[in-house]
Amino acid sequence: MVDGKSQSLFKDKPIKVLLAKPGIDGHDRGMFVLAKAFRDAGMDVLYAGLLPTPEEVIDTAVNEDVDVIALSLLNGAHLVVFRKVADLMKKKGIDDIAIVGGGTIPDSDKPKLEKIGITGNYGPGTPLKTIIDHITERAAEARSRKLGIA
Amino acid sequence: MMKKADDIANGIRAGDLRSISRAITLVEDLNSLTIGREIIKNIYAGTGKAGIVGITGPPGVGKSTIIGNLSSKLKAKGKKVAIIAVDASSPFTNGSFLGNRIRMQGNLYRDGIYMRSLSSRGSSGGLSRSTWDAVRILDAAGFDRIIVETVGAGQADLDILGMAHTIAVVLAPGLGDGIQAIKAGLMEIANVFIINKMDRDGAFIAMKDIEDSLALTPQNEWKIPVIGLDSMKMEGYDDLIAALEAHLSFAAKDKGNEKSRFFHEVKAALLMEAESRINSLTVSSMSGITDLDRKIRDKVNPYTVAEEISRSVLDPSS
Ligand code: B12
Ligand SMILES: Nc1nc2c(ncn2[C@@H]2O[C@H](COP(=O)(O)OP(=O)(O)O)[C@@H](O)[C@H]2O)c(=O)[nH]1
Ligand SMILES: [Mg+2]
Repeated sequence: MVDGKSQSLFKDKPIKVLLAKPGIDGHDRGMFVLAKAFRDAGMDVLYAGLLPTPEEVIDTAVNEDVDVIALSLLNGAHLVVFRKVADLMKKKGIDDIAIVGGGTIPDSDKPKLEKIGITGNYGPGTPLKTIIDHITERAAEARSRKLGIA
Repeated sequence: MMKKADDIANGIRAGDLRSISRAITLVEDLNSLTIGREIIKNIYAGTGKAGIVGITGPPGVGKSTIIGNLSSKLKAKGKKVAIIAVDASSPFTNGSFLGNRIRMQGNLYRDGIYMRSLSSRGSSGGLSRSTWDAVRILDAAGFDRIIVETVGAGQADLDILGMAHTIAVVLAPGLGDGIQAIKAGLMEIANVFIINKMDRDGAFIAMKDIEDSLALTPQNEWKIPVIGLDSMKMEGYDDLIAALEAHLSFAAKDKGNEKSRFFHEVKAALLMEAESRINSLTVSSMSGITDLDRKIRDKVNPYTVAEEISRSVLDPSS
């Protein structure tokens, strides 16, 4: 859905995405690969650094008013931690920031994450274009809500 | 979901972070130009209370690190502090890595300080406009001190700094010969000089160099102080705060300053009006120009045509 419509939606203010690893996970190579790919795709990229708590991730996302939070974990704790982020967002009534997941996520966990609104959940070897298209699609939903044109 | 301009403005006045954040998005995005403006019109009367400090200087000298430390210190002194940091974006892809936040993240998390990153995308006028609006929003929200980080190069950056009451220029040892050129460009706008990385070789020489140049430059009643910082050891920050606060009080007494700021604000708004009207011109609306076909045939130069249009666009009565 990287179509003309989302191109004009983001023409003036690019997609703003926060990359975060909200847990004890030092595998940050993927973060740098994604940060560069997102920037080269024309996005404004923030990185929450290593070991932020889910609360800190949401504070940053709200203060920066990002379109998408990109959660990444390679440590196997995604079900617990991603859910915590999604729950906190829900509790705060935030429905105009999208959450996309990724890392080492077994196929059997993906539907569980989708059910709580965390989409994508891409792992090693996913073409960057697939990831960028998905982020763009979710960002378009979020931005439209922010601007009240959803 | 998006609320109405009035609701957001009320949220800003109440200091609600989500309203503040959303309002900044709406003034950044030209898709929401109308509501963004409504918000600013609504809150403008409540602005003018905050002390606005611009921190500028070349990349890598330690501006973000300083701002993190400084805001924690100010917060400990009971001030409400907010930060805006402008990152350079790639002119090729328009994308950017908003890296300033990383450097101050520890302070932000620990002390609950509001910080917002802006990227210098697209039109240069757009960035200074949205930065000014973001500052107004934070001002109306009741922050006492608003700190703005820029790299201080290029017209958009200088325009942003036009709204600061106090400008601190940061330099550090190790900039090489480049320091002379940078110094020359930033010398005129500095109210306070900071030499950061005093732990590094050459720091005292850099400091002496600035002091010597200042001694040779004619100054007004405000004597520009030169502050040395070691941001790893948190040394020099009390002197820095004293210097910034002294200049904020100095600037507050200067009524001419207020007038020129207001003029600057109106001029920026006017430029935006003109820009949007000019951007809305199209080939088909251009055909409204008298004798377009003849002008093309006779090769009338574009300046003459533009003068004609500018009369009708900017001053429809003439
Ligand atoms: C390199 C590596 C390390 C390096 C990390 C270096 C660094 N600074 O990043 C070192 C040696 C330090 C390391 C240590 C450990 N590792 Co290790 N490591 C790997 C390895 C081989 C490759 C990871 C990598 O860098 N890939 C390259 C990057 C570019 O890809 P990526 O991170 O997967 O990201 C891509 C995609 O996943 C996706 N993606 C990722 N995040 C997101 C987010 C979103 C929103 C989206 C859309 C997409 C997306 O896009 C990225 C780009 O293509 C993996 C095995 C594997 N094949 O994945 C194990 C692996 C991740 N490690 C593992 C383990 C267990 C560890 C250790 C605990 C100890 C150990 N046994 O080695 C420690 C823990 C370290 C810590 N503090 O967290 C396990 C995790 C098992 C699990 N999930 O339960 C793995 C899977 C190996 C395995 N099969 O057992 N590791
Ligand atoms: N040695 C030393 N390094 C510093 C000091 N202050 C900042 N730095 C480092 O300088 C680098 C650039 O800092 P940053 O704040 O990002 O600079 P900016 O680009 O001007 O915002 C970082 O690696 C900092 O850790 C200091 O006082 N001493
Ligand atoms: Mg910086």
